[in-house]
Amino acid sequence: MPTPSDNQSLIFALSRFGHGPTIEDFSSFSRHGVQAWLEEQTSPPKGDDAAMTSRLKDVRLRIHYNAAEGKWPALDEARPLDMLGKPIDAVWPLLDNSATPRDGSERRRAVDEVIAATYLRAVYSRYQLREAMAQFWHDHFHVNALASEQIMLAMPTYDRDVIRPNCLGNFRDMLEAVAGSAAMLYYLSNHSSRAGAANENYARELFELHTLGRDAYLNDRYDRWRDVPGAMAGQPAGYIDQDVYEAARAFTGWTVEDGAGLDGQRKLPATGRFVYVENWHDGYQKRVLTQEFDPFSAALADGRKVLDLVADHPATARHLARKLCRRFVGPQASESLVEQTAQVWRATAKAPDQIAQVIRTIALSPEFAASRGAKLKRPLTVAAGFIRLTGLDFVPTEGFHNAVAAAGQRLFGFPAPTGLPDDDSYFLGANTVRNRWNLLLGVAQNQWGTGACDPSRTVPVGGDKSAATYAKQWLDLLGVPADASALSAISGAVGVPPTVSIEGMDAKRLSTMAALAVLSPDYQSC
Amino acid sequence: MTTLFRRDVLKGLVAASVGGVLPIPGLRSLAFGAEPGRAPILVVLHLRGGCDGLNLVSPASDPDFIAARIGDLRVAMDGKDAGYALAGGPDPKIDFRLHPAAGGLAELYQNRALAIVHASGLTNKTRSHFVATDMMDRGVTSDPDLAHIPSGWLSRAVAAKSRFAAMTAQGTLSGDLADMTNAMAIPDLAGGLPPVGGPAVSSALWQLYRNSAGAMASAGRDCLQMMAEIDPKVPRDPQGRIAAYQPDGGASYDTAADFARPLKTVAQLIKMDMGLQVATLEYGNWDTHEYQAGRFRYQVERLSNGLAAFWTDMAAYHDRLVVVTATEFGRRLRNNKSNGTDHGRAGVTLVLSGKGTGGKFYGPWPGLKTEQLDEGVDLAVATDYRRILTEIVNAHLGVPGSAWFPGYAYPGKLGLMV
Repeated sequence: MPTPSDNQSLIFALSRFGHGPTIEDFSSFSRHGVQAWLEEQTSPPKGDDAAMTSRLKDVRLRIHYNAAEGKWPALDEARPLDMLGKPIDAVWPLLDNSATPRDGSERRRAVDEVIAATYLRAVYSRYQLREAMAQFWHDHFHVNALASEQIMLAMPTYDRDVIRPNCLGNFRDMLEAVAGSAAMLYYLSNHSSRAGAANENYARELFELHTLGRDAYLNDRYDRWRDVPGAMAGQPAGYIDQDVYEAARAFTGWTVEDGAGLDGQRKLPATGRFVYVENWHDGYQKRVLTQEFDPFSAALADGRKVLDLVADHPATARHLARKLCRRFVGPQASESLVEQTAQVWRATAKAPDQIAQVIRTIALSPEFAASRGAKLKRPLTVAAGFIRLTGLDFVPTEGFHNAVAAAGQRLFGFPAPTGLPDDDSYFLGANTVRNRWNLLLGVAQNQWGTGACDPSRTVPVGGDKSAATYAKQWLDLLGVPADASALSAISGAVGVPPTVSIEGMDAKRLSTMAALAVLSPDYQSC
Repeated sequence: MTTLFRRDVLKGLVAASVGGVLPIPGLRSLAFGAEPGRAPILVVLHLRGGCDGLNLVSPASDPDFIAARIGDLRVAMDGKDAGYALAGGPDPKIDFRLHPAAGGLAELYQNRALAIVHASGLTNKTRSHFVATDMMDRGVTSDPDLAHIPSGWLSRAVAAKSRFAAMTAQGTLSGDLADMTNAMAIPDLAGGLPPVGGPAVSSALWQLYRNSAGAMASAGRDCLQMMAEIDPKVPRDPQGRIAAYQPDGGASYDTAADFARPLKTVAQLIKMDMGLQVATLEYGNWDTHEYQAGRFRYQVERLSNGLAAFWTDMAAYHDRLVVVTATEFGRRLRNNKSNGTDHGRAGVTLVLSGKGTGGKFYGPWPGLKTEQLDEGVDLAVATDYRRILTEIVNAHLGVPGSAWFPGYAYPGKLGLMV
């Protein structure tokens, strides 16, 4: 049996860059080591592994709603994740409720399926680091899927075609994929932006959230671009409101085929696909980050030039390096690690695996290795980690989703474009902590139909093992100090004195013991 | 972050625990340490996203306003959708009108409960939601102050920090309460806060968390204590089931939709008389960059219905209750071509109190001619939001000075609190 300290290192790496170890990981990891794992994880093949693919194919997710008189009958069925693989033009017609009226749940289904798939991948994907990165980029390029039905329907393609293929790839590629996605065009309302008085929503968040970051917003120089340090050398240190206004003009005409009228006679088709509408574009000359834009450039050229400028800006490298270090090393990550990461970011700017190289830099840094315990696990990592550890046959359900959301992590549902805060205190409100406990205890007791838990597959019973011994073996596995008070606490929760045998104890009570071990305060961090 | 009210009470509990198993239900018999009674209460309502003050309270007859905006984003003076005319505006030549969906607010204004401070807000030039929100929450107006002052202005201003002194009716403490000891985040009381997993499991959690160091263990202890102390105060029927909250005075929160939950949570906590001094809550979604007219109407209707219901429900507390709104900025005077408005400067502040000072506007009106606008595009900030809050903290909470706003030279009261 590995020692608690071996287990700590394993659990640490796998909880930072994934959702914790499976019981099999304990043996394979000690054979191959972290570096081999990282090598495989940072260059995963396209798409899901075979076991994952068949799970996604076989799973059924419930959908249910009431009848609407004269419109649709009541429905309650378990349905495959049919919308996950569909192109956007195959789901967009669901918005048209005039020909075939449908309950809103049929549109919301698109995001429900992406959420279910995210839970399944968190638990079962062989490529755990890709899951961690997909979540990082979903937070970074956040869209609140619940903000409109168009965004709900755009979520399968946003997750499948925009975030996942690029999550270990090249940032500039991802930036343009996001800029042209129906999800972002709707969420930050660029789809309705028109020449004349452009909508500034997307352009502002492009600078502030997606690229240069708020530290580079030099708002006291509002309309004096020449006063921005470096401006006269063509290398402005940051951006001002004028850059936002001009960039907003550059993106006019970047929109979605959503049936909008083009003039008195013509309309865009309603497919949900990206389209550039020349008529809506403000073609006149512009200046962004001191660079002059010629009037009447080719289709999309203005927007692409803005994306080039912001992607290449040193402040973007620092902003993203700082965010990645914060996520994977912790809030105390040093400025020198951030600077080193930013250098790799810039040096690999043209590489197709830019982000993977940056991640390797962070993961192999001594600072990463020394940062154990610096991050609170997010609720999904706690829940998926328990499921992986106990090997329970997991089925995603609505109840599970609500419990994860109540614990502070409502997937694709954060109400602001900042995405879920990467800040421990966000998850430490007293009520949120209560919901974290509820989440894990509920999984252990199969309260939401996610699958029966049998912790004896992980830590065997038998041999007249006492309650305290069983609790200790769980805590040792988790690398958590097993003092007498903890042992008596865990035994007491199922009404057994520590020294009494657990021979014959039912799986529910064993599950409560395992869940309490996993809820140890020390195990909430990684 | 919550830190808290845990130590003394829980120390007692350790002593009380028998055989290593803490009888969690016994926690409930503890008396409250807070001072109930007649202490003043301040409620801060955050209208996150940047509420369009010019559409909530329109200078409806101002020709510069009419020229700059499509009719849908202005309050009308006639027709079936005419807004509520407000006497006592800041410029006698202009007909100030409240949005037609704000019937509840119009009535509060008539009854002199509601005062309006137009053209108010943050003096910093930022048009970033997140920078502006952080600055207002922390009570600073410069980037350097923002970088080195992590605590919320309310946490610095509220003097007596008794147990249960402050709460936020959402999952996380609002930024203005950052670093305040004794502050709780309670998004909902509709289901009470019973111990998780039953008494035996909660008792085990207490044992696991009581001696550990670190933020998680501390948060866990807060959580157990909150459950133990607040849950028994949630009314239950004789069978032990939680009764639905019954507002007083015939008030109904039903028409406030999603704004009802945080309001009811604040109302319930105030009525528990546990010594609450400050409550914050949030009603978001004001970032109306496109198709503003319909979305804004929906928002205003719920804001108005909710505040009206709350004020009726809290009638017994009017002599010691003040509600003030805050929003990070108002919106651009001129609408964009998405029929929405982009980030602007000054907005509008609403102040509800039982002091009889409502029914009029406070502070000057800077005007909407191009040369009067901030940077030529936005309603200028004529009243610093800190002035409004300083007057409230001085006169209502009884804390003198304005030290909680670093570097602020308070020019004196507006008369909102008499």
